[in-house]
Amino acid sequence: MNITTRDVNEVKIVAVEGELDLNASQEADKQLTQLREDGVKKMLIDLAKLEFISSAGLRVLLATAQEIKAAGGDLRVCNLNATVKEVFDISGFSTLLMCFDNEAKAMSGF
Amino acid sequence: MAEEQQKILVVDDERLNINVLVELLKPNYKMMAAKNGEQALKAVRVANPPDLILLDIMMPEMDGYEVCRQLKADEATRDIPVIFITAMGDTSDETKGLEVGAVDYITKPISPPIVQARVKTHLALKRNMTELQKAYKIIEAQKDRMENELNVAHEIQMSMVPQTFPPFPDRNEFSIHAALHPSREVGGDFYDFFFIDENRLCVCIGDVSGKGVPAALFMAVTRTLIKARAIDDISTASILTRVNDELSRDNKAYMFVTIWFAILDVRTGTLLYTNAGHNPPYIKQKNGDSKRMDNLHGPVIGAQPGLAYKEDSTHLAPQDILLMYTDGVTEARNREKEFFTEDQLVALLSSREYESMEELVQSTVAEVKRFEDGAEQFDDITVLAVQFSGQPGAAETQMLEMTLKNQLSELKQFKETFNAFAENNNFSKPVRREMNVVFDELLGNIINYAYTDELEHTIEVRVEFSGDRLTVTIEDDGIPFNPLEKDTPDTQLPLEERKIGGLGIHLVRNLMDKVSYQRRITKNRLTLVKNINK
Repeated sequence: MNITTRDVNEVKIVAVEGELDLNASQEADKQLTQLREDGVKKMLIDLAKLEFISSAGLRVLLATAQEIKAAGGDLRVCNLNATVKEVFDISGFSTLLMCFDNEAKAMSGF
Repeated sequence: MAEEQQKILVVDDERLNINVLVELLKPNYKMMAAKNGEQALKAVRVANPPDLILLDIMMPEMDGYEVCRQLKADEATRDIPVIFITAMGDTSDETKGLEVGAVDYITKPISPPIVQARVKTHLALKRNMTELQKAYKIIEAQKDRMENELNVAHEIQMSMVPQTFPPFPDRNEFSIHAALHPSREVGGDFYDFFFIDENRLCVCIGDVSGKGVPAALFMAVTRTLIKARAIDDISTASILTRVNDELSRDNKAYMFVTIWFAILDVRTGTLLYTNAGHNPPYIKQKNGDSKRMDNLHGPVIGAQPGLAYKEDSTHLAPQDILLMYTDGVTEARNREKEFFTEDQLVALLSSREYESMEELVQSTVAEVKRFEDGAEQFDDITVLAVQFSGQPGAAETQMLEMTLKNQLSELKQFKETFNAFAENNNFSKPVRREMNVVFDELLGNIINYAYTDELEHTIEVRVEFSGDRLTVTIEDDGIPFNPLEKDTPDTQLPLEERKIGGLGIHLVRNLMDKVSYQRRITKNRLTLVKNINK
């Protein structure tokens, strides 16, 4: 699992590559927490290169989203593949988190 | 209430004689009189015929003998006792009188006390006879009612077992035949077979304790429960465990049932089965050997709730025959009170080649009947035979078996192995990804939470892929844990209120088509099925 970031305007785009499963979630959590503590208030998580996500990964996303929201910020997700979207749908995360088909749609209104 | 007074008919051509008898008897009886044979015969053919007839012999036109003969020839008057009262006193006269059917013969001049005594005796006899006949009619009616009830039980029983053969004419992966010969009183045997999906056939045979309508009803309930539970469960142990819980819950009559239940995959020949107290079936192999399926997975069903039944699986090779039966076969007795026994059954099974399952079943029943040789059949005789054809071109099974240690690094390793397997078998990307999620959830859960000691444990995973079905079995020896008992998380709650518990298994249940759990003594076993449509 690999995380890379770039900035567009005030938004931190966080690309998660690989698999966000049990093994990877600890590392992902560490990096996302670091970003929050660095003061990121607007975060877009780009899952274009994410193979799949399991409940461990969902947990990390949820925690990050809750913290950012509590701090007055906003977290969005985009580019979910079919399987990731399926997992989001089953778990109800599709309604919990703001999900967008692509980066452009996600960015407008941020 | 005083008994109705009995009626006596006096027949004599002499008025004087009639009067003597009427005077003598009228204090105690209702009296009627007739002057000749013709009148007498008219007098008896009434709604209320006399209970006794005092008959003179010497009469013009029709004598007493003739009157008596006619009375006895008519069913309506045959039972009225006749006493001859006559002056003809020879032994030959008396003999003749008794021969034509009179019950007594009194010579004139009469002795009043004698006449009274004999009349009283014969009337009492007649009264008893009438009572007996009435009682007999009641018994007849009861017997008819009982026959009726037996018929009802019989109807229930026969309507519960499939009787059309061949039942699946368009399926050539197997052939099946069955017969149930009920005993006079319904003995509670049943059998059933049905598909739970395209390729899996359930076969079932059982015997309810008790007889008659209660047994038939219990059998109907049992059969219905099995069918209902089998629809969404792929483990025979799990199905019978649930059926047992339900049957033993309201079982006030303390009935129980022995069941042998199996699920046969008709493409691969895999046979998953559970024996709950029933007679062990036999598998006859192509080379003629018969193997006894000894394993017992639990006691009879319905006796005690909360039992966990087990299961085993085996393989039917092409041409293998599975023969199931009830103890009505092995415990059939002949006149010498000897039992038919399993030995004879096995001998019959192995002794020759059978052209069809129908032939095997019918031969078995015929042999049992021949053995019984007219001795009473106390129990239902039931035989069910299935032959697996192993149709060529049946989908091959691809299998992956792996043992992992309870460490996350092993989980990573496993996924890589699985992904290679998926690649080799051309699973689509979504399927591969979904399975990765499933493995992550289940194996991760076991590794993290199943063990309370710090020791190394192993987890066994088996993946079977056949046709378009993927079957996964995960077995661990951790603490007893049935993930299916967790509540489904409420996925509608807003962000702030969401907790994570139960989410993993929720995902698994939605990504797989069937999930079932079974505790096997010291192990947890999860069986999962996913239909992969290409």
